[in-house]
Amino acid sequence: MREVNTKHVFPQDPNKTYGLMELMKGTKPTVGLQPDDMVFTWPHLLIRELVLFAIVVAGLLVAAFLFDAPLEEIANPNHPPNPAKAPWYFLGLQELVSYSAFVGGVLIPTLIVIGLMLIPFIDRKKIGIGKWFAKERALANGLFLTFLLVMGALIILGTYFRGANWSFVVPWE
Amino acid sequence: MKKKHVRTQQPEIDRRTFLTALGWIGVGLSAAVAALGNLLYLKPAVDYGPPTLIRAGKPDEYKEGIKEVLENDRIAIVRDKKGFAAISVTCTHLGCTVRTSDAGFECPCHGSQFDNDGLVTGGPAPRPLDWYQVSVAPNGELEIDKSVKVTPGTFFTM
Amino acid sequence: MATSQASTTLSLKEKAIAFFNTLYRALFRYGKMPQDAEGQSYAVFNNLFLHIHSVKVSKHSLRFTYTFGLGIIATCLFLVLVFTGVWLMFYYFPSATEAYNRMLDLRSSVDFGFVLRNIHKWAAELMVVFVILHMARVFFTGAYKPPREFNWVIGVLLLLLTFGLSFTGYLLPWDQLAFWAITVGTSIAGYAPVLGEPIRKFLLGADVVGQEALVRFYVLHVVILPGLLSIFLAIHFWRIRKDGGLSHPNENETPVKGTAQ
Ligand code: HEM
Ligand code: FES
Repeated sequence: MREVNTKHVFPQDPNKTYGLMELMKGTKPTVGLQPDDMVFTWPHLLIRELVLFAIVVAGLLVAAFLFDAPLEEIANPNHPPNPAKAPWYFLGLQELVSYSAFVGGVLIPTLIVIGLMLIPFIDRKKIGIGKWFAKERALANGLFLTFLLVMGALIILGTYFRGANWSFVVPWE
Repeated sequence: MKKKHVRTQQPEIDRRTFLTALGWIGVGLSAAVAALGNLLYLKPAVDYGPPTLIRAGKPDEYKEGIKEVLENDRIAIVRDKKGFAAISVTCTHLGCTVRTSDAGFECPCHGSQFDNDGLVTGGPAPRPLDWYQVSVAPNGELEIDKSVKVTPGTFFTM
Repeated sequence: MATSQASTTLSLKEKAIAFFNTLYRALFRYGKMPQDAEGQSYAVFNNLFLHIHSVKVSKHSLRFTYTFGLGIIATCLFLVLVFTGVWLMFYYFPSATEAYNRMLDLRSSVDFGFVLRNIHKWAAELMVVFVILHMARVFFTGAYKPPREFNWVIGVLLLLLTFGLSFTGYLLPWDQLAFWAITVGTSIAGYAPVLGEPIRKFLLGADVVGQEALVRFYVLHVVILPGLLSIFLAIHFWRIRKDGGLSHPNENETPVKGTAQ
């Protein structure tokens, strides 16, 4: 039987060959230290992943038996439905497109994608990391929340408040 | 001792840098050509869509002042005092199929309205409905070429 | 004969046990449920599927109220979608005349066909929702700050791929909803200056939504986009490890009071 030195995570085994696993930036060697807020992935993280997976699958199964996915009549190029709507997540854009196809369909989506990609290169100050709605980041969080709310409002407007001829309707009437 | 040719100046770039650059240019060019080839492959070359040349029957099958919609060809044949016209029934906004109305055409999707000549009278559509070229085929039938657009208002006269 | 050798050789039963032990060890080197530090390290480290994880993770990143498991849920949904999607491919046929009939068959004739289609549909809708929620959590916890800028950019690509997958899948049932949503959606693309029309043509393979568009959307939906998404997902996970695990308050410039150094 191999002897295991339980004091160390990785035993000092003379027969072991070592490979370089990773280079880390740091100011002191941390070999042999056990950072106190670390726990083993097995089982702590894996059990959480497994449970989430089980919940997701169970939820989907229940949903699949309770609610049928919609299926309308067969496609007919001569009879567009009134109104014709894009998938829900594009309805915010379609709402904008109803004002101007170029601005809503091309300009704004392009700006959103470029803007999203640039965020981490503009807002680089290492403050408020690892905390929900950190006070130090109130401005950035406020802006992003506004963006999400505006997109959400447009989607709700396009989904529920637009009827025949894309005219404004009130869903509860 | 015979003096060898001596360079008085270091060249701007040495041989190794030059050859490396040349190599990279070669790789870049091949990649560009390959990318272009792949894009061209994906560009639809054969038109598998509906045919563009349409025979629409004898001219006298159409009555004056009536818009006759050929559903499968997505056009309306209009006969007027001035002659014949073939107007597309595909909305210029986002591609729905428009219906005929008393005033002209209207789109059910987002409410664009067009007059009898397909000019926009309301709604989000950015331009008038397309007009296609009309001619008469050798057998006397009207022939519409959907690949040729004409300016709205150009009627075909016999 | 057998009794005389028993003292030196193993019995058949012992041989069989030893053989299965060898087999088991060849597959799972570190036992069933490793309880010690070494076993638990190796269990993750030496397993192809688990080694996307680091051996240890910070307690902070495990707090449910930090991530709400949103990224993991999105990953789970993607796995479910791949599974149910491949299963649907056994019956689905990307033909303008057949596709719709196949949807009807899945609903009424094929055993459990409706379950697979429903799961695929609901998981697809939920994936869009959870990816957006995950992005929101990353933003509101400041988790995109250095050194995680690049992973945020990969994330944006994943978001676009998720939209692309959902959009291309939308056409496949070939019902009225599908046909007109794609007609409207691709017309919007046509408005882009210069590139708009070529992109529309590339997607549709013709001037209007028809058989060509169905085949192109099918190929994008079942091969190209899931392939790309898997690749970027691998990079996404790899970056999490290389960036030192999930974001953590200790990374802030002004150290939080009370952290031992
Ligand atoms: C297919 C879609 C995506 C999947 C499956 C996915 C999956 C994951 C997972 C499993 C994590 C681990 C932490 C957690 O669960 O929150 C994570 C972290 C991360 N994700 Fe995503 N993600 C996706 C899209 C995105 C998007 C759209 C963004 C942002 C634009 C993004 C940016 C990040 C960043 C920056 C991290 C590191 C967070 C930290 O260190 O706290 N991801 N992702
Ligand atoms: S497609 Fe006709 S109004 Fe939008």
